[in-house]
Amino acid sequence: MVEKRYKKLKTAAELQRLMQWHYTRIRLPRLGRPLAWVTSGAPVEILRAMGVIAVYPENYGALCGARREAVSLCEAAEAQGYSPDLCSYARTSLGSVFQSERAPMGGLPQPDLLIACNNICGTVIKWYEAVAAHYGVPLFILDTPFIHGAFEPHALAYVVAQLEAMIRFVERTTGRRLSMKRLERTVRLANETVQLWSEIRALCKARPSPLNAPDLFVNMAPIVVLRGTEGAVRFYRHLKAEVEMRVKNGIGAIPEEKYRLLWDNIAIWHHLYRFYNYFVDYDACFVVDTYTGGWSQEIPEGQSALMEGIATAYATVFLNQSLEYRSRLMERLIREYDVDGFVMHCNRSCKPYSLGQYAMKRRVTEGTGVPGLIIESDMCDARAFAAEAVKTRIQAFMETLAERK
Amino acid sequence: MTKPYFLGVDIGSLTVKAVLLDAGQRLLTRGVVPAGYGGQEAAEALVARLLRECSLTPDEIAYTVVTGYGRVRFAAADEEVSEISCHARGAFYLCPAVRTVIDIGGQDSKAMRLDAQGRVVDFAMNDKCAAGTGRFLEVMAAALDVPIEQFGALALQSKHPVTISSTCTVFAESEAISHIARGVAKQDVAAGLHQAIASRVLGLAARVGLEAEVMLTGGVALNVGVVAALSRQSNQRITVPPDPQTVGALGAALYAWHKGRR
Repeated sequence: MVEKRYKKLKTAAELQRLMQWHYTRIRLPRLGRPLAWVTSGAPVEILRAMGVIAVYPENYGALCGARREAVSLCEAAEAQGYSPDLCSYARTSLGSVFQSERAPMGGLPQPDLLIACNNICGTVIKWYEAVAAHYGVPLFILDTPFIHGAFEPHALAYVVAQLEAMIRFVERTTGRRLSMKRLERTVRLANETVQLWSEIRALCKARPSPLNAPDLFVNMAPIVVLRGTEGAVRFYRHLKAEVEMRVKNGIGAIPEEKYRLLWDNIAIWHHLYRFYNYFVDYDACFVVDTYTGGWSQEIPEGQSALMEGIATAYATVFLNQSLEYRSRLMERLIREYDVDGFVMHCNRSCKPYSLGQYAMKRRVTEGTGVPGLIIESDMCDARAFAAEAVKTRIQAFMETLAERK
Repeated sequence: MTKPYFLGVDIGSLTVKAVLLDAGQRLLTRGVVPAGYGGQEAAEALVARLLRECSLTPDEIAYTVVTGYGRVRFAAADEEVSEISCHARGAFYLCPAVRTVIDIGGQDSKAMRLDAQGRVVDFAMNDKCAAGTGRFLEVMAAALDVPIEQFGALALQSKHPVTISSTCTVFAESEAISHIARGVAKQDVAAGLHQAIASRVLGLAARVGLEAEVMLTGGVALNVGVVAALSRQSNQRITVPPDPQTVGALGAALYAWHKGRR
């Protein structure tokens, strides 16, 4: 019943193959290539250019969440003394480290080194420290100062110095050298991936929107995990072609699009289709979100300033910027995508993303006249999801939207 | 020719409410009964009783709207509408000057801000926690061994309310019990609990903006201690309609009236 309302993309099989290949490949003999666990906001281009294989515990967490296997891993971490208030990606990851026999695919392969960038949150520092202590492997923390107003020149210089220190760290721990030529090529590929992803997201300005939130969330995996690879570029070319065809033929992601919504925060992985289908029942489609837009920063190319470009792209991700900036971003998306209402996921796990949501909600409604709804849940920990309470809020919100039409 | 009548049913977690209106939106009768298990049987029995009292048959009901937590399981309904919309509609009908409605039910508390047309502009509901709900008061009254009907009046007798810092029902209960163990007067503990619930609910109302006139609906509005604490802490006059428990069911009946006349 549920699946019927969900219009499957033809590229879904290709996506599955691509991600399966990634998770298989990292387990194959690597012929001396080192393997790094990295955060979703780490400058992976540098690692790829140095021949380091990157794996993403956050993506693994999302995968466990979607397979509804995150809770038992969270419990494994909690049994070791980690607080249930801690991020559920961190708990899932640590649980998979402590009890790999419980973990899908037996957990991630053991890392040789760890790179954590705090542009997305501060939790990653302690989380990666715990992983480093467990495996006895070196950790580099790439520090990107929070941007309260503008990205100041001294902050840029600091982040560039951080990147240089990171390169020295990787060279020291792996014995590999960074070739600027390879870095330029990787950046070019990454930019191409990012560009395609931005274009695909922009296609959802069409009426009806060719994609709904679950489409965006499922298809974001390669932009995070395989950014800067040929495989990702190829996949997004195919996806873009399919989405363009949907727009050309007036095919919407949901049977009838009456309301256009914006989503804020990380997906509710454990109820992905069920949750967004509650909205489909009211003919509401999420045409845009703030989360999957987090990977749409191109790195300015140009011989001399490449490091400045990488520093700027990674330091200025929206989660590293002020509530003011994020409110303005939401207001802009609401106008550009002609949105009727917005839904903010108050994500128990993700403090930097969820803190200040009530203030932002008020601000965005004042700025646009568009009403918003806050839903409480958690991205991976299904224990924080109360279906009836959530449905009641959605129904009430959709009724207020209906009265406005 | 059958006369059209309109029925609103509110199946909550603790009680079931029903309101019957005639074609001129006049109130024929209303009733409140304990929900029992699931609520639908209690709702069917209540509706049958109300119909009997008015000498009506089910065929004479033109349209039925159901609301509340048990809404999806009530087979006789033509439509289900959320509690937010129903409480707003009921409150605005009773008093068109209302701009903020606070409803404290058994397991939910909610705040709604209305515009001059009675439309819901914004709303907020309690998070997944019983603090600030009717259930909270029931648990606390039981802990203090006071009948729930007298709990609010007891709180009003207090001269020196204690501070209850926990907002969690379970922790607040143990906090209350430790106060009693230390010999604190019952009314002072009761007053502390009522203040805790009021500040919790006002925090919720602040999310939508507390604009005059404020109406309190739901079963907890029958508790004079909560009404007094809300009024004192917010510096606002709190209007309590007659029979505040049935405001949601009234709203549902008004929805039924609008839908059923077409």
